[in-house]
Amino acid sequence: MSYDDVEIEDMQWNEELQAYTYPCPCGDLFQITKEELKIGEEIACCPSCSLYITVIYNAEDFADKKSNNNLEPPKRQPWTLLETFRMANGKLVL
Amino acid sequence: MWRRSRGKVLTWGRGNSGQLGHGDMDCLLSPKIVMSLESYCITQVSAGWSHSGFVSDEGCVFTCGDGSFGQLGHGDYRSHCSPVKVSFFVNKHVEQIACGMRHSLVLLKDGSGNLLYGFGSGKRGQLGISIDRIKSVNAPEIIRGFDDVQIITITANADHNAALSADGELYTWGRGFGATSDFLSPQQSPSSLKFSKVALGWNHALVLSDNGEVFMLGGCHHGMLSNPEITTLSKHLSDGAVLERVPGLDGIKVVDIAAGAEHSAIVTEEGVIKIWGWGEHGQLGLGSSRDESSPKTVSLGVEVERKNGTVRVYCGSGYTYAISTFCS
Repeated sequence: MSYDDVEIEDMQWNEELQAYTYPCPCGDLFQITKEELKIGEEIACCPSCSLYITVIYNAEDFADKKSNNNLEPPKRQPWTLLETFRMANGKLVL
Repeated sequence: MWRRSRGKVLTWGRGNSGQLGHGDMDCLLSPKIVMSLESYCITQVSAGWSHSGFVSDEGCVFTCGDGSFGQLGHGDYRSHCSPVKVSFFVNKHVEQIACGMRHSLVLLKDGSGNLLYGFGSGKRGQLGISIDRIKSVNAPEIIRGFDDVQIITITANADHNAALSADGELYTWGRGFGATSDFLSPQQSPSSLKFSKVALGWNHALVLSDNGEVFMLGGCHHGMLSNPEITTLSKHLSDGAVLERVPGLDGIKVVDIAAGAEHSAIVTEEGVIKIWGWGEHGQLGLGSSRDESSPKTVSLGVEVERKNGTVRVYCGSGYTYAISTFCS
């Protein structure tokens, strides 16, 4: 059973762990990554014990091609590079 | 944290938020003196989730560690890895500081009575400063609700607090215990008993009455975190709003109590430690990782039990310390 329900805005982004974290009663941190949130995962586990929490969040905020303050800048898409080559002299340049 | 009898402070443990106060963000496996407080005589200390508080005999209060919720009380959201004096209290006399997960309480000794301040995260009402939920405050604000009440001790853990008055009355506020809703301002316990000590976990409170009995608020997780089916059932049985006497201690006079995040410990008049609650990390000291739903005796070993002296107990989030002081 989930130890607690925690809103995503109450979790802290941990740069070293690359995950949203929240204190676990054992002294470690409940953790959930952006990738997990993207696919709709809502369980944040503690690496040191059996406890886990349920993360409350708006799935749309973590869907692909959306950004918020905590996300990395979106990676450049391959089509952007192709378009740059095309624009060099009107035709595809390799 | 440990305060030596001559006013020096030693800290150890997790330090990656600077909460150990050594000027770095290192974790320490053994106690080390906080050098920047060497010139002060520290009379009281408190360890929160990732911040720490220190009070000197002259009434100054220092904080360090994570400040991202304003819990250091310096008027900003900066973190510090060495203790910094809380300037708000410079012309006042601080008696105690209590550090929770993301907030702090300060108790003042004032000519006209004692005053209580709160700062840090207030989303669960743990600051007790408003009828509304407050996201956070980064400077001390006075906590109302203690008119004509002399508060002598404060304690904080997770997102709630407890205070005891000189008359033995218990006040709690912040995140509710068990299934109760949060309290945005201090609530006096309706019990007619007089209480001398209070300890807080993350979902429970332990209180010790003047006549040596132990009561609990909340605690539906106790002994049941490892068994989800029982946890679900217990939530329906008790809403955690009522003080319930801890079973299994009939006829036993208790002199000390302590609470970890999800476990509890007591010391009897005979110097016996009894413990119960979450046991997954061996924090019950019973030789297994089983949860216990009622108090069990901890053996400190024949050598310790044979000697005369006093025993005290302290609980961190997921661990327990027993301190034996022997008479020479």
